Amino acid sequence: MPLLFILMMCLLGIGIAVFRRSPRVFLDGSSEDMPARLLRWAAGLLSPQRGEWGQAMLGELGHLDGRIRRLRFTLGCVIAVLLLQPWGRRAGAGVGAMIAVAVGSVGVYASVAIRYGLGVGDWVAAAILVVFLAGYLLAASALLRRPGVAIPGLLGGLFVALAWLTMKGFTFYGVIGTIPAGWEKLVLVIGVPLVVGAAGTLWGRDAAVGRRVARLAAISGGLGVYLYGTLAVAVLGAGGPPEGTGWTVRYIVSDRLGSNLVNLLMISLVTATVGWAGAAATARLRNSSPAPTLPGPFIPAADPGTGEEA
Amino acid sequence: MQRNRPPSAQTISVLRALAADPARWRYGYDLATEVHLKSGSLYPMLVRLADRGLLETSWEPGAGSRPPRHLYRLTPAGREFAAALTAARAGRTIPHPRSRWSEA
Repeated sequence: MPLLFILMMCLLGIGIAVFRRSPRVFLDGSSEDMPARLLRWAAGLLSPQRGEWGQAMLGELGHLDGRIRRLRFTLGCVIAVLLLQPWGRRAGAGVGAMIAVAVGSVGVYASVAIRYGLGVGDWVAAAILVVFLAGYLLAASALLRRPGVAIPGLLGGLFVALAWLTMKGFTFYGVIGTIPAGWEKLVLVIGVPLVVGAAGTLWGRDAAVGRRVARLAAISGGLGVYLYGTLAVAVLGAGGPPEGTGWTVRYIVSDRLGSNLVNLLMISLVTATVGWAGAAATARLRNSSPAPTLPGPFIPAADPGTGEEA
Repeated sequence: MQRNRPPSAQTISVLRALAADPARWRYGYDLATEVHLKSGSLYPMLVRLADRGLLETSWEPGAGSRPPRHLYRLTPAGREFAAALTAARAGRTIPHPRSRWSEA
């Protein structure tokens, strides 16, 4: 029930954020169609030296008629943009690391499923997991290529993962068997994401950077906790707390793998949404803070704008 | 480090299409339609050709509400490379990619 409440609040938060970003577009719809908006977003991912090619794709799309034709052209261009080098060294390393974590997680999951002879349902869950991870990697590759996001986003993800694991005692037993207390939940669900979003905004001096940092931290942190949890299941199997439940080994292992998947989704969604709010709130507080005045009795009239950004 | 791989069959078909009328500026979508390529394959190819100096680009000003459009045609080096590809095909020898791609 609390999980459902959190999910509902996150979805509500996303709706409010989208509305606040552009109320007119939210209510009336954009003046551009979906292919144009999608391609404009994708073109923004290109490195500065490739910017002309993004404009080339947009220009070509502007001369195409027919919804299906435009959509097919756009989808091809989006794939091209996502693969087009250079990404920058940090982005490339970040994507590589996240692919390694995702592939490692799937590998460990598959080995556990084979070892314990899990049923069809668990393989269906594995297929769902692969789809989610592919989406996560796609989103991460887009975020990592935005300027000023890679380092704070990955550090934020590390912070998120460490916070969750620390609250669970940092042991395999703890990751599987510990349910955080009330105040711990508050810290993990509200405090940590807020800090990540706020730090991202302060790092990039921009709310947009802060929001992207929060999203990247949500993805990378969620993946990190997921890998740790899957490793815990691989090592412990059906062992560890709670003892003597009377359930079969296969059931316990399957249940633990399922819980890990739910945790992955929950950590990502909560961190991204609350972090988004933290980034926006920090930007607002920064902008509304009074401009500092120069010390001393004399303020030069020729330099009136020095106190805009503290 | 620049890799010098031989051009793919798709790249060769794009080069041939451009070399058919080398003085003419071409649109990306028309080129893709002519060589039966998706935009996701065509644009990375055009980027690589331009990086290697085989392709020159230009902009056609937008008309009315239509945005400016990117145009493509082969450079002299690109024409030479396309001609070498054709000659190699006729002689059943593949032009050495290292000498050709790196020259461009």
